Amino acid sequence: MHLQRWFDVARLRLRSLARHAAVESELERELGFHLDRETEANQDLGLAPEEARRAALRRLGGVAQIEEECRDMRRTAYLENFIADLRYAVRSLRKTPGFALIVVLTLALSIGANSAIFSVIDGVLLRPLPYPRADRIVRIFFRCREYPKFPLNPFDLRDIRARGRSFGAIAGITRADRQLSGAGRPERLSSFAVTAGYFRVLGVSPAVGREFTTEDELPARGRQVILSDRIWRTRFAADLTIVGRTITLDAEPFTVVGIMPPVAHPGNSYHALSDGDTVDVWTPFTFQGNETRRGEHYLEVFGRLKDGVILSQAQADLDAQVAHLAGEHPDYTRGWQAVVVPLYQETVGPARRLLLVLLGAVALVLLIACANAANLLLARATARQREIAVRAALGAARSRLVRQMFAESILLSVIGGTLGAAVAVGGVAALTSFLPADFPRAASIHVNPAFFAFTLAISLAAGLLFGLAPALQAARADLQDALRDGGRGSTAGGHRLRLRNALVVGEIALACVLLIGAGLMLRSFVNMLRTDPGFRPERVMTAAISLPSGNYKNPKDGIAFYDRLVRQLAGLPGVRSAGLGTDLPWTGYDENMGGFTIEGKQPATGQNFHARFHLATEDYFRALGVPLIRGRFFTSHDNMDAKGPGPVVIINRAMAAAYWPGEDAAGKRISFEDHPKEQDWMTVVGVVGDIKDRPESPAAAPAMWWPILQAPVYPDEMCIAARAQGDAAPLAAELRAAVAALDPQLAVAKVKLLDDVAGQSFSTPRFALFLVALFAGLAATLAAIGIYGVISYSVTQRTHEFGLRVALGARPWDVLRQVLAQGIRLALAGVLLGLLGALALGRVLWSLLYQVSASDPGTYVAVAAAALAVAAVACYVPAYRATAADPMAALRSE
Amino acid sequence: MSKPSDLLQGTLDLLILRTLSLEPMHGWAIARRIQQASNEVLQVTQGALYPALHRLEQQGWLRGDWRQSETGREAKFYSLTRAGRTQLEKELAQWERLSTAVCLVIRMAEE
Repeated sequence: MHLQRWFDVARLRLRSLARHAAVESELERELGFHLDRETEANQDLGLAPEEARRAALRRLGGVAQIEEECRDMRRTAYLENFIADLRYAVRSLRKTPGFALIVVLTLALSIGANSAIFSVIDGVLLRPLPYPRADRIVRIFFRCREYPKFPLNPFDLRDIRARGRSFGAIAGITRADRQLSGAGRPERLSSFAVTAGYFRVLGVSPAVGREFTTEDELPARGRQVILSDRIWRTRFAADLTIVGRTITLDAEPFTVVGIMPPVAHPGNSYHALSDGDTVDVWTPFTFQGNETRRGEHYLEVFGRLKDGVILSQAQADLDAQVAHLAGEHPDYTRGWQAVVVPLYQETVGPARRLLLVLLGAVALVLLIACANAANLLLARATARQREIAVRAALGAARSRLVRQMFAESILLSVIGGTLGAAVAVGGVAALTSFLPADFPRAASIHVNPAFFAFTLAISLAAGLLFGLAPALQAARADLQDALRDGGRGSTAGGHRLRLRNALVVGEIALACVLLIGAGLMLRSFVNMLRTDPGFRPERVMTAAISLPSGNYKNPKDGIAFYDRLVRQLAGLPGVRSAGLGTDLPWTGYDENMGGFTIEGKQPATGQNFHARFHLATEDYFRALGVPLIRGRFFTSHDNMDAKGPGPVVIINRAMAAAYWPGEDAAGKRISFEDHPKEQDWMTVVGVVGDIKDRPESPAAAPAMWWPILQAPVYPDEMCIAARAQGDAAPLAAELRAAVAALDPQLAVAKVKLLDDVAGQSFSTPRFALFLVALFAGLAATLAAIGIYGVISYSVTQRTHEFGLRVALGARPWDVLRQVLAQGIRLALAGVLLGLLGALALGRVLWSLLYQVSASDPGTYVAVAAAALAVAAVACYVPAYRATAADPMAALRSE
Repeated sequence: MSKPSDLLQGTLDLLILRTLSLEPMHGWAIARRIQQASNEVLQVTQGALYPALHRLEQQGWLRGDWRQSETGREAKFYSLTRAGRTQLEKELAQWERLSTAVCLVIRMAEE
């Protein structure tokens, strides 16, 4: 009902505006009818027609006045005035195009930057994840003292799935890339092994066919596959009859049971695939092995909460389940606890802080641009003082003058905002192409209606904000003063100057805050680059290769293949050393953790000995350039041969320090068995340098390597590292050729220079640094324009005074010094405030910094010096102009 | 026109709404009806009537359409909207309260 009324009102207002003439003529007709009717009535009473008409007119009163009153009732006068104000604003801005251009351009850049960052935040943080009722989806981890988030053991997951009461569905996934062969070139597919119900957790059903069932999870089964929409279209020509047929994955037949609609991968942590439409196929996860041994943790687990269940209830439920498991399998589950984290938090968590910092930075830039615009408008308003005073003297209401000022500022900000939107559309495209590869939800960043609404809103807000100062000033305009000395303009009102100075000080302070942020990020980036990575990435070609289990049934055959391959690679002419290993530095790690026994040592209660566990060939460390600290690297004699040195391992420095502090770890023995016999012991033959997970990780985790020739099973996937004599780039082709020569069915994937792999790890800090530096540069430029504007205005105002001084014997240097001092005083105040502000805000940056304190004195001093230098340069130009003040002109006008 | 019949501020709105609650009318008829119904006591000046009508229309309480009048000519007829009807109830209740209160005060003064 109220809605109806608002609708009526809006319709009428719109009509009065748009169809002004029609509305006016209706009013005329309405009053005309009244007059005629009254005349008729008077005639009925016996008056002569002439007399009747006159009486009616008398009674009606002033028609024009009634019409005017009726017009007022339409409430559109305000809008009509506003349009007139806008027209006037356009005219007066045209007279000062330079001023308008500077304000519009600075606004366009800062509004554009804000809108671009907003669209990233909108896509990444504000939009719900692309699943039905995505807020019900959670990640489930195990945790212990050393590992805050650890994947689950498959059998633990199966028990929790069967007993848990809080979840509508629980499922685990693990990366298990497959090689697709058959028609066409063999291709590595991004693939996940998923337990039954995985798609129910996501809330997306196959478009055709079915999801995996618990039947598919049985060890002897698992030869089913669900295709992604993309692979179905690109490799299978969108053929619906593919469902029910078999395709060849890893040289084995898999039956296609379903085709998914386009569905976003929720993101995983280990051997991570970025979230979004990035998975090619899914296969069933099969529960292999002995379910009483639960030491292996590698399933990443997702759950969908039942309706009405809140996070803390799910947590309590899981706590109970884990306690139950600890009772059943004390050797494995004791010491672990469960953690439930909303999927949204898990997905966007890492990016959140960075995005909020960027939003803060652009908001500061916009504030500075507003201060700048306000300042320029104030200067202009002072120049127009006389015009304003004349209008006021002629009877313009103060409110009307204030509105006039706002019309101008809003016009400027809306033009700035429109240009800004164009800047931002380009900016969003640039940003998304520039985002780090592992940035969450990069695919959901788009220019959309929310983006335009935001741009409009901040444009209007900015216009109101920077229009405030000149509007207040117009409201306070002192007529007499202005009319008296407006012609000469020798004095600027005291409060007016104070306001302008305050704005400039504020601009400089905000710019300093941004510069310090950028400086700190630059320092941490340099620190990161300078940190010894623990390996030598230059001139190394890397690749990934996997052996389809179908082709190499016997572990010995697989290992023999890897051995042949590494010899072949080492024999290539351009290769200095070549090695294979289960992992490459800085590429993520699948938390393949082993617990072990150390000869002669007992773990403290509630803890156990553990380290990350890898396989490597003889020259793996040489190829990567990892230094040997103690003992030796592997040799070709580290094999299963009974006459050889027996089982050996190489450990890293972190493991040596953790378990043999103050001792020489070389020669010590460990075993994977709880109660090892003599042949179960493995001897530590070498200690190598540490490589951290990521360049910014605080420390390396304990890790060990097994020689591949002693491995009981061969790994599906191995990484190749080949160090070149000279240029590594030509190795890419040679590497492919060497693999094809051994087995033409194998796909070689992820062929990359180690330099590029390492460079990827710096992409997020580089991205953050670039943007913050860009915004800080913009802020500094704006602040420089601001201080230049104020000083140059004050010089213009005081030309007369300077002329007099020169006439009285002041040297140019005195004048120059005086003006510069005025600017430097402002700059000093701004810098001081800025440093204090940065100290207060430093904590925000903390998590983005690396080996540099948020109150790093060097950065603060450098920024202060740079800001003062820029301010001095910005003031020098007007100061120099002041020295040219003509004493004769000053004297003549006196 | 004459001072005694000048309407209390705000009362005109109530009279217009009440008059229109019977049937849609044009401006002249509204003035005439108020005059007749009040036994010629209340004389609505046109200078007040039309701005009031336009105001009530702009507020969404009245709706104006052009229809044929009793003389055969087109005239702008006003009718109550649903919102206007609710507004009338509100104003009536308020008037009742006010006039009762005024009567109480006047009687007390007589005693």
